[in-house]
Amino acid sequence: MNKLDIYFVSVGGQGALTVCAVIAEAAADFGVPVVHVATKGMAQRGGAVCEQMRIGREDVSPVISPGKADMAVSMEISESFKAIRFLKPGGTFVLLPLIWRPAAVMLGKAAYPALEELREEAEKNRIKLLVLNPSLPLFGAKPVKENIYLLGALSSTELGSIIPAESLRNCIRRKWPKAEDANMFAFNEGAAAL
Amino acid sequence: MMVSGNEAIAYGALHAGVKLVSGYPGTPSSEVIGCLMNMELEGTHVEWSVNEKVAVETAAAAGWAGHRALCTMKMSGLNVAYDALIGFAYSGTTGGLVIYVTDDPGATTGMCEQDSRGFALMSDMVMLEPDSVKQSYEMIQTAFEISESIGSPVFVRSVTNVAQAHAPLEIEKRAMPSSKTVLIRDIQRFTKAGSVIATNQHKRLIASLEKASAIIEQKGLNILKLGEKDGLGIVSVGSLNKIAEEAVELANENGCCFEPGSISTLRLACTIPYAHSEMDRIIGHCSAVIVLEELEPYVEREIIVRAFRANKNIRVIGKLDGTYPRSGEYNAAVAAVGLFAYSNVPVPEHFVTGDPLPAQKCAARPITCCAGCPHRGTYLSIKQAIKEEGFKPEDVLVTGDVGCTILGMNPPFHILWTETAMGSSIPTAAGYKLSGLETPVIATIGDSTFFHAGIPPLINAVQHEVDMTVIIMDNGWTAMTGMQVNPGTEQANEGKQHRRIDIYNVLEGLDIENIYVTDPYDTGGMTKTLREALNQKGVKVVLARRECAIQAARRGARHSYAAINKDLCTKCKRCISMTGCPAIAVADGMVTIDRELCNGCSICFNACPFKAVERKLL
Repeated sequence: MNKLDIYFVSVGGQGALTVCAVIAEAAADFGVPVVHVATKGMAQRGGAVCEQMRIGREDVSPVISPGKADMAVSMEISESFKAIRFLKPGGTFVLLPLIWRPAAVMLGKAAYPALEELREEAEKNRIKLLVLNPSLPLFGAKPVKENIYLLGALSSTELGSIIPAESLRNCIRRKWPKAEDANMFAFNEGAAAL
Repeated sequence: MMVSGNEAIAYGALHAGVKLVSGYPGTPSSEVIGCLMNMELEGTHVEWSVNEKVAVETAAAAGWAGHRALCTMKMSGLNVAYDALIGFAYSGTTGGLVIYVTDDPGATTGMCEQDSRGFALMSDMVMLEPDSVKQSYEMIQTAFEISESIGSPVFVRSVTNVAQAHAPLEIEKRAMPSSKTVLIRDIQRFTKAGSVIATNQHKRLIASLEKASAIIEQKGLNILKLGEKDGLGIVSVGSLNKIAEEAVELANENGCCFEPGSISTLRLACTIPYAHSEMDRIIGHCSAVIVLEELEPYVEREIIVRAFRANKNIRVIGKLDGTYPRSGEYNAAVAAVGLFAYSNVPVPEHFVTGDPLPAQKCAARPITCCAGCPHRGTYLSIKQAIKEEGFKPEDVLVTGDVGCTILGMNPPFHILWTETAMGSSIPTAAGYKLSGLETPVIATIGDSTFFHAGIPPLINAVQHEVDMTVIIMDNGWTAMTGMQVNPGTEQANEGKQHRRIDIYNVLEGLDIENIYVTDPYDTGGMTKTLREALNQKGVKVVLARRECAIQAARRGARHSYAAINKDLCTKCKRCISMTGCPAIAVADGMVTIDRELCNGCSICFNACPFKAVERKLL
């Protein structure tokens, strides 16, 4: 496969836009066509964010049609349900199952969906659901950055066959030179997780 | 380099030697000036203007002075600017004048889903519509060239999925703007007084659009490819040029059979001026035409008119026959619906939207204020003051306005009733009062919105002696659109070519008799102030002052944070239900406050009946 359409969902503040920016930059470095667009609306921290990314195809709009994404990536369990309709049957869904409860859920006024329900949806839609461990590995005493960990995990999926892991690593090094050790550790742990 | 469509506009304008760039922030257009503001640009003036009308007038003057000038805004801003813009279109320009406007089919940024192409039609102005980041870069330069060639301002119209898209782009060096400023006195061009002057200018404008048609044709901006004779044609415009091919692929995967190259295509670089010669050719060649355009059927109508003129009986598949909606953005699946219609193939179930059921399981996330947002204190104080004055919430109209200040419409506040246009909060509240409403009315407006369009309605309310309370929520920044400066921003926070105007002084100048200054973090004090204001006659203004928490934190102005005293906390969760602060969460049955997010605003201190929230110094 030389093209990949990815649908990302997350909550503002999780750093998903950075995940997309790194992938896009690494794709561009490697000479692969890429275009992506975020729909963050008025979302600030805590709002729903989605981002559509199309890799390996010239002359396309960044907008992915329902049922056509090759891959979905989510950083929040509840938000994951929004990505289901965009994923094609047989597509891959990478989930870092973090939970950001909206206030109404914390107050017991609204329900929060269970991971099990997502598994059921995935099965029903013939989606390959890959669930990462939400307890992030520690670097020193602190948990690693979730978005870098996720980037590592994604490098072990179809994405890695289009954009080499080393291109992603180089891009991360260039963006955050001071955090190189911690970030490389996070990335490699993520890569080993899938 | 990865850049957004908006940044591509900025770089393209620099490569074209732009001398002056003005605009007012508005998603999805803000990053053009946002990007330029971060650069040192000797010889080019870049500004956030007080509103779009002033922005256009400033840029147009630079055009009259012989320079290249760019003015940026979102579609709502064009409504504000248009009064001036139509006048400038009549007068024409000497240097290239480009108006960059972004539309938002699907209204993801929460404003009217208006199609700004209507303004181009109404004012006989060229409106180029880039289909991508790369074309944004190229077209902004073409727009300057066309503007100078025809002597009229030119629009570049983008949409969210182009303006906000990111793609790799080769950026060329900036061209230095000319240092020669020309001064021409010509009342035939630069005034409107008298029918002769105005009608001559109108005729010149119409002729200039015809001239632009010829240039666009000669440049080959609209791309026509003829396929099978008497077959299908697809006419698309702007961003939809990028989905037509994919729509055919999707249709073929689902029961249609279009041979490669059989479909004639016309990829339009602009709706206005209409590509009459290309339209005539595709109409003459095909038996049916699908028109792909978001929002209004401008191209479609023109194709029908051209077919009628040519006496050609052709099937036009678009919005007017009910195939496509007039609301929402198109993707390839939406576009494919026309291909199914042409092929007489049923549209598969859930083809356009996907199965909507899974997403319904998702927990709703109504947008709310950031941790430490001063507006939170204003909303809680309004609520409390209304209660203490003996009114029910449903008795007191509290109008809202555009920007972060509108967040009080959502839970847990439920305090604001209306949002219409920039500045509308004040006249809406006044209008109710003047129609005989006996209960008090309160208008709320942010600082930037006040400068933009809040001053004339306040003058109106003062002149007509309306009994109302206006709360100006002054956080010092144009925050919702990504922290731009406005006339009230502290000079120390801004710097170059910026003199701060204090809203308090403006209010005094407007002859407001009762002006109160209050700190929204002090909800007790603000409630008292509001009660006092509600009991006065005439127009009262409460200036609720506290810097935006995000900007204050960026400057390191954070000195404390809140923490829950576990011994005192009864887990009643009033801190969450009252404030909705994103820094407060329930984890493992305990209420906790995120130390990184909290800025110690103290609003939850007052919300807690058990004094279980304590201030900690950093």
